[in-house]
Amino acid sequence: MAATESPERRSMGDRVYDAIFTNRLWRSIFRSGYPNTPRNQMLAVATNVFLHLHPTRIHRTHVKITHTFCLGGLSFFLFLGLTISGVLLMFYYVPSVDRAYEDILALETDVRFGQLMRNMHRWMAHGMVLTVLMHMMRVFYTGAYKPPREFNWVVGVVLLVLTLLLSFTGYLLPWDQLALWAITVGTNMVGSAPLLGEPNRFVLVGGFQVGQAALIRFYTLHVIGLPLMAAVFMTVHFWRIRRDGGLARPL
Amino acid sequence: MAAAQTQPVAASRAVEARKRRQREEELLVWPDLVFIEFISAVLFTVLIVALAVLVDAVLLDRANPAVTPNPSKAPWYFLNLQELLLHMHPALAGVIVPTIALIALGAIPYYDNTAEGQGEWLSTPRAWLNMYVGAGTGAIGTLLLILFDDAQHAKLWEKVTGTAWPIPALRNLRAIQNDIPWPKSWTKVPLGDKVLRIDLLGLPKMHLDINIPGLLVEQIIPVSTMIGLPIVLSIVCWKAKIAQTKRDHMILQFSGFIAVYVMLTIVGTFFRGEGLALVPYTIFAEK
Repeated sequence: MAATESPERRSMGDRVYDAIFTNRLWRSIFRSGYPNTPRNQMLAVATNVFLHLHPTRIHRTHVKITHTFCLGGLSFFLFLGLTISGVLLMFYYVPSVDRAYEDILALETDVRFGQLMRNMHRWMAHGMVLTVLMHMMRVFYTGAYKPPREFNWVVGVVLLVLTLLLSFTGYLLPWDQLALWAITVGTNMVGSAPLLGEPNRFVLVGGFQVGQAALIRFYTLHVIGLPLMAAVFMTVHFWRIRRDGGLARPL
Repeated sequence: MAAAQTQPVAASRAVEARKRRQREEELLVWPDLVFIEFISAVLFTVLIVALAVLVDAVLLDRANPAVTPNPSKAPWYFLNLQELLLHMHPALAGVIVPTIALIALGAIPYYDNTAEGQGEWLSTPRAWLNMYVGAGTGAIGTLLLILFDDAQHAKLWEKVTGTAWPIPALRNLRAIQNDIPWPKSWTKVPLGDKVLRIDLLGLPKMHLDINIPGLLVEQIIPVSTMIGLPIVLSIVCWKAKIAQTKRDHMILQFSGFIAVYVMLTIVGTFFRGEGLALVPYTIFAEK
């Protein structure tokens, strides 16, 4: 008698659960049910395009925060945050030497949450340079670059360079004294290279001194060129982590 | 032929190791990893919003090409290169050194290709020791070299003894060029247009004159310092049995590199003031 369960006696919670997680809409979006059983938990990771960056199982030492300090993940998180805040900033910013500085001033005084967005964008940019450098040190000191992961280390070095270039190109955009002279000093370093330095500097700056041509070049690189390149290299970077067997383990 | 088919040629040890992996040692990514990532993302979102509310990004006056601020500085992560620029030829510090440093950085796994110390923090026997020795030597050595090039040893001597520094040629690096009576002919050795054949690239012919003392100070001494000191460090640590394996040497050199990088950045950011003189400096002072 007690073994037979009648559907009428289900609790309210069960009915809500079923209504949410077994209806056709939910099932059309997520193939698995709510991840409350090991099977569904693995399916949730394996069948979701974003979560599927991960394997379904992971060694217990890799879950310890002190093993990675989440530094690679944080770098990616900051990249995403920078993309979102950057897109919002683009709504209010025109890359013209006549308007750029005024647009930043307007962002700080007229635009609701404008100052907050600009501050977040700047602090995340500085933060990303730091987390990328620290991530490199983490990978080095845990010996995670060793075969078969050699090439992913090289991809990481490329991503480090792209991070620095992204930050450097963004530095010019506020068009204040700090921006202009930092970029002048930086591009002069490029110009000091033997033979090809001066032509390279000319291409980068679009002239002999940092002006409108430089601003539009840096802006274009900052908002589309370099982020796209970074996204491509990040794709390879993450994919290679999975291909090379996840995080490195002692043999 | 048959042997090659039955035995996969060193298919990579990581692939072999996965067979041994114990299922009970593993956790499910959902929830054990995904939740950590989620909490970490929430935590850092809160942290960044809090920082952005509390501290405003700097905005100076409108850009003006006619007014050069003194000092003019690159963004902080390039101040290490700007600091290097003060001590050697600009082409060397601004382009050649960073290029070679990046290539060397990328080449690390192709040199240190053993599985030693893989997957755990500084797990080889002498790892911590090598890190301390490398980082300590890099930081202190860089600081000493910067102080030397700023003639701090000569200034200290003059302060303590009250007399002039006795060896003018060793006052700083540039003094080797200026305070040694080099033969006049050495400062302009004509090499003609047959050395650098840039005319082959369609560029105008280049008559190359070499200033030997200048070359020594701006290029030869800095290059031999930057290449020689790390080699000396590795040899000393090898003889002293501090660094014995490839991984040991790699930790030694990488820690040294990071320490040099950090030290140059700190000096370039906080200790280069007006005219890039070696004095305490803060960028926010003018706000």
